[in-house]
This record gives sequence, structure tokens and C-alpha cells, in this order.
Amino acid sequence: MTMIRTALRPDTDAAGSEPQASHDARQGHEARSAAAAAWGGAATSLVGLAGVVCGIVALAGRSWSLSLDGLFPMVGVQLELTPLGGLFMLLTGAVAVIVGIYSAGYTRAGHLGGFPLAVMPIFVATMLLVPAAGSVPTFLLMWELMAVSSMMLVLAGHRRAEVRSAGVYYAVLTHLGFMAILLGLLLLSAATGTTRFAEISFAIGDVGHGARTVIFVLTLLGFGSKAGLLPLHAWLPRAHAESPSPASALMSAAMVTLGVYGIVRIDLDILGPGPRWWGLVMLAVGAVSALFGVLQASVATDLKRLLAFSTTENMGLVLVALGAAALLTSSGMRDVAALALAAGLLHLLVHGSFKMLAFLAAGSVQNATGLRDLDRLGGLARRMPVTTALFGVAALGAAGLPVGAGFVSEWLLLQSLIHRPAAGDTLMALTMPLAIGVVALSVGVGVVTMVKAFGVGFLARPRTDEAAHAREAGAPMLLAMALAALVCTVLALVPAALDPALRALGRTLPVPVATLGGVVIGPAGGLGSIAPAVLAAGMASAVILAVALSRIGSRRRPPAQSAAPLWACGADGLTSRMEYTASSFAQPMQRVFRGVLRPEADLSVVRAAGSAYDVEQMAYRERPTDAVEAHLYRPVLRLVRAVAGWVRRAHTGSVQLYLVYGGVGLLIVLVLAR
Amino acid sequence: MGWPARIRRIGRIAEHAPPQPLPITAAPALLRGSLQIRYVDVGSCGACELEIASAFGPIYDLQRYGISLVASPRHADALLVTGVVTRNMEAPLRHTLAAVPEPRIVIAVGDCACTGGVFTGGYGVVGPVSSVIDVDLEIPGCPPRPEQIVAALRSIVGR
Repeated sequence: MTMIRTALRPDTDAAGSEPQASHDARQGHEARSAAAAAWGGAATSLVGLAGVVCGIVALAGRSWSLSLDGLFPMVGVQLELTPLGGLFMLLTGAVAVIVGIYSAGYTRAGHLGGFPLAVMPIFVATMLLVPAAGSVPTFLLMWELMAVSSMMLVLAGHRRAEVRSAGVYYAVLTHLGFMAILLGLLLLSAATGTTRFAEISFAIGDVGHGARTVIFVLTLLGFGSKAGLLPLHAWLPRAHAESPSPASALMSAAMVTLGVYGIVRIDLDILGPGPRWWGLVMLAVGAVSALFGVLQASVATDLKRLLAFSTTENMGLVLVALGAAALLTSSGMRDVAALALAAGLLHLLVHGSFKMLAFLAAGSVQNATGLRDLDRLGGLARRMPVTTALFGVAALGAAGLPVGAGFVSEWLLLQSLIHRPAAGDTLMALTMPLAIGVVALSVGVGVVTMVKAFGVGFLARPRTDEAAHAREAGAPMLLAMALAALVCTVLALVPAALDPALRALGRTLPVPVATLGGVVIGPAGGLGSIAPAVLAAGMASAVILAVALSRIGSRRRPPAQSAAPLWACGADGLTSRMEYTASSFAQPMQRVFRGVLRPEADLSVVRAAGSAYDVEQMAYRERPTDAVEAHLYRPVLRLVRAVAGWVRRAHTGSVQLYLVYGGVGLLIVLVLAR
Repeated sequence: MGWPARIRRIGRIAEHAPPQPLPITAAPALLRGSLQIRYVDVGSCGACELEIASAFGPIYDLQRYGISLVASPRHADALLVTGVVTRNMEAPLRHTLAAVPEPRIVIAVGDCACTGGVFTGGYGVVGPVSSVIDVDLEIPGCPPRPEQIVAALRSIVGR
């Protein structure tokens, strides 16, 4: 693989001989990179703004299509606005606007080079064109451009070996996924005889069941890999963790959701809800991904890796909702199916908002401290109060607790799973309770995960000097994060704001979509309904009441006589070594789920010189491994390597032998073509 | 044999309460029939601990007089200190005392805590408890009998 090298680098070696000139040069360089950052951020935001406008236009029901036959040889480029695509353009555009503002400030600290800044608007544009693609070749082209441009962003810090390894994982897995999508969509257009999505929808009725099934399996696998679903998920924690934070936010909040777009577009919209087992497969893939993602997140100590695994979890929950919607539609429960689909789409948008905020906050922590390891952070609440509060908003949303952004969609998902057909349907009677269990468990473990991320990373005392001397992020970064928090809050309190979009989708999708209408949200009949805004108002007034009452009550209490020192179990004072670390907080989870997480333990002992018994230093590390990687990827890789070794025996390096091969090959061709 | 049958077979093993000792003046006015104790070992040989454990055990049953051991000095009314104060434990003893809310009582249990005993003048020893913090009540003996401990604590709690 060729590595990308940045051409412009400040000449720091001259600092000793000519301090004044070098100082001027550095100042000049900083001014230049600040200007580049402002331009790059502005370009990203503008492209995003265009996406927001297009998305709103598409959702308003204006159909619009554009065919540029000369732009690409043989097939041309066809663009088409649909309400479903509009929803994803709106999401991607909104994320890009906020990330653009953020990256204008982020670069000022020197973390993002000119190259990623230039790629970011292109990446956003390709992400906006994927849901706008009107034909199979255009879709595949944009999909591949999106993969390549995001790959460049992942490799922005390519000097470190971890980044290069993440890049290889991303390249391989995203192309495995692309191969599956390519095969699936080529089969689809071959079976229907056209490449335009609009015409495919009309001609799909003539396609046989076998071909449909193959297309479904291939596209689910391919789009699942982009959405971070099992089994092709391994790129996601690596790429999200190692890429620059604005890129992580774009990938996690926008690009990953386009995998879900593909599943909705091809498997629900074009192929139709299909036989029941399709829904069951989607439900199962979603459930396994949700559980696996949240368990890995609960034991992760790297903040960005934790957030990345949480993305897998949330995409799994979305797929559970899609699968439940398909299953319920086939059982004739259209009302409940509509609720499930609305819950899934709402969760997609909500996840985009809180995950973007979380990655941006993680980026500002990394900007201030250079650290991502929760075990070395801590105490940021005093040094970076705004970032801490904003990360708190994101963590509350990710935890799925009331007033948080994720609560309403997860609640609606649970409600749609509970309201299954009453009797006589063994499959549903078996599946739905299991799905409820999976959703409940992943939400519960999600709370533990977010408590860990917020409590260990931001509260208590700093564990390292870097964390102790952190400085609050600059104004553009804070502004971007505040905007993201605003979006989170609006979606959490007034999810009915999405009703026009959901209504537009309901008109076009074969699967019904519920609207969230009004203050009270829930299944028809009122049972299990919630009113998030009222809930929030109630909680806020309860807190205010409690504080006011305690203030009044404390008036009669005598003032404290002396300020006693904090109790440190008799020691001289509290130190950061007495705190819970992320590892120790997660240790019970690691122990309970040992069978799934399969932690890898190693003990290294440094012995004192010249002694077999004196130990100078001991280090014990236990880290969770990826069971899917160990038991699925490695056997496949071993097999490929074995076959390759077997093939290589024929390649001895002797030119004469190769000439013989060529002659024999020619002979065979001649004989066969006789 | 189940536990109800075992209870019936063994019967009552707690001794009948001896007559109430005279209350002492060191008891803070705020104590009303209960005393929460945080116990600190500052260098004991372990004998006093055995007797304290016995005093809280089923036979002497200190808890029936409203006296109990607590896990944190923040929850305590009194410190129960055993052993001669060693150098390593001098600062923790002061910290623990500072963590007990006022009004508070300090009780030294055993000869080592009261006088230093045979360890007086040892190279790792600071001295008796009273050389580090103010002591309100001393329970002598090497080790003191559980009855002595029970009587002393009852004289504080007034039950």
C-alpha cells in the first residue's frame, strides 16, 4: 500500500541557530494552518449544508432526478432524490455542518494536517451522493469513493503502526463488504434487466425467490460490514479509534448509518419485506451485534474504542428494530411494525447526534491531553468543565436513560417488541421475548459502560500530568459540541419534530412507519406510552424542589465547626491511585462474561540482576480479545495462507519452468478452442 | 437437623446482664443509649482484640446495650484503641481521630495502650495512646477480661 506523505512541514531544525527567524516561520506556519483549517472546515460545513437542504427538499416530497450520461463512460451518473435518501442526506449533512465547525478549531492545535482537511469535504460529498444515487452503477461508484476517501482520513496519522494496521483492517473488510454488495446489486440488475432503482422497483415482481434470497444475503452481509455489524465488524473499533476525531465523528455518526440505508433501501424497500426468515435473520444479526458491541464496550479502556464498540451496539439495536418491523408486518401487525420501524429510524438519528457529540468531546480531550486511555485520564471536570458537561449529555443519550437522547427510541423499540401477537404464533412467541431480553441487557450494560466512560474519564482526580494540565477546548470546538448537544436535547424532548420526515417515508416504503405525534408517544391504545417532555419537566422540578427543601432545612442546622480533612483510611491524603480505574470498574463485567470476552492475560516479571528470586518489577495485563476474530477470521486466514502456500510450490522462480507453464497453457487453450 | 431445632437444643447462651455500672462523667451529653465505636489497632499483639471480639460475641453480647462496631470513623462516636502506639501508626491514629465527628470519646484498651507496658522505650514505639491523643477512658489489663470491657462501655452508654 502506498502511504500518503504531507508535503509541507515546518522546518524545526533551524530553531537553534536562528531563534527569531524560526519563531517568525513558526508563527507564519501556524497562521497558514489556521487559515487552512478555517477553509477546510468551512468547505465541509457548506457541503453539509447543501446536504441538509437537499434532504429537506427530498423529505418535502419534491422528486428530482438528474442524469449525467457523459460524466462516466458507458453507464453515466444518475442522481435521484427520494424521501428515504433525503432522511439520510439530512442526517449526514447535519453531522457534516457541525463537524466542519469543529474541525476549524481542531486543526489549530496542529492535529489535523492539510491533507485530511482537503479530503473531508470530498468524503462528505460522497456520503451525500450515496443516498442520492439513482442507479446501481452510481451507487457502487459513490460507495467506493466514500470508502476510499474515508480510508484516507483513517490513514491521516499513518506514521504510527497502529494506524497502518487499522487501515489494512479497514481496507480488507470494507472491500469484502463491497464485493458482497457488488455481487448482490449486479444480480439484482441482471435479474430485473435495468440499472435504475426506480425501474428495478417495478420489475422486481418477476424475480424468482431463489435470486431474491441470494441478493438479500449478499447485501445484508455487505451493508452489515459498513454498519459495523457482526461478523464483518473488526475494522470499526480500529478505524474509529485511530482516525482523527472529526473523521471518527463523521464515520460513526454518518457513514456507518449508510450501511443501514442500504439495508432499508435494498432489503426492505426494493425486495419488499420478504419471507419471515429474512426478518428473523435481521433480528438475530442485530441482537448478536448489540450484545457483542456493548460487552466489548463495557470492558474497553480506550475512550474512542469504547465509543466505536457502542456504535456496533446501536447499529445492532437499529437492525433489531428493522427485523422486528419485517417480522411484525408478515404477521399482519402493521401498527406495531410501524412503531418498530419508527423506533429504528429515530434511534439511527439519535445515535448520530449523541455519538457525534461523544466523539467530538473525546477529540477535545485528546487535543488537550494527548490521551485516549481512560486509565490515564480523570479529573477533567475541573479543567475542562464545558467539554465534561457536553460529554455528559452524550453519555446520558448513549445510556438510554430518561431525558437522554436514546431513551425514547429504545423505549419504543421495547414497546413494539412487547406488543406481539397474542397467541397461536410459536415463532413470534419465542423470538420476541428473547429480543426484549437482548435489548434490555444491552441497554443495561450500556449504562455501566457510559458510567465508566464519564466517571473514570472526567470525574475524581487526574491520574497523569497530562490530564492534570488539560486546557479547555477553543471556541469553534465548543460551539460545534454545543450545537450537537442542542440537537441531542431536541431529539430527546421533542422527537415529534421528526414527524414530517416519518410521514413522508410512510408514503413511500412498503413497510408502514408510525409517526411520533404530539406530547405522548407510544403504541396505539395508550398502553406503555411516554411523554418525554413532561418526564423531563417532572424530573427537573423534582430536583429543584429537593434542592430548595434541603436549603430550607439546612437553615436551622448549626454551621460546621471545622473542616475535617477527607478520610483516606488513615493515610496522609487521597491520591489518584486510590481511584477506580476503567479496568477495575469493568473487572466484574469481565469476570461474568469471561466465556464471551475471552480475556488474554499475561504476566511479565523483571528479575533483579544476578538473582533468581529478587523481583524488581511485575506487570499483569488482561485485555479482552475479539472472539469473532479469533474463531472466524483466523481459521479463514489460515486456510487462505495454506492454499497460497500450496499454489506457491509451483512458483519456483525458474524461468524455464514458467515457459513450460505458458506452453502447456497455450496448448490447452488451443485444444479446447479447436 | 435444622436451625430451629438447634436453637431449641442449645438454648440461651448469653449471660444475664450484670447490674448496671455507675455512669461516668466522660460520656458526652448527646449519647442517648447507643454508642458507635470505630476500633483502631495501633500496635497490639492481638490479645485485646480477642477479648473485644469475645465481648461482642454471643456470651457477653455487647450489642444488647446499644453498643456496636462501625466500619468508618465518620460513623463513630468513640475510638477504641488497642496496643502501644508504633511509629508507623502514629499519623494514621491522628488522622482517624480527626475523622471522628465531635463530641467524641477515646478509649484505650489494655496495658500497652494505657501505659506502654513492656514495650516502653522500644525503638519502634512512640508511647502510650495518651502521649499522642487525649484519652478519656482507660481499661487496664493484659489483656482486660471481657467483663471489664463490657462494664466500661456500659458506664459510658448508661444502660
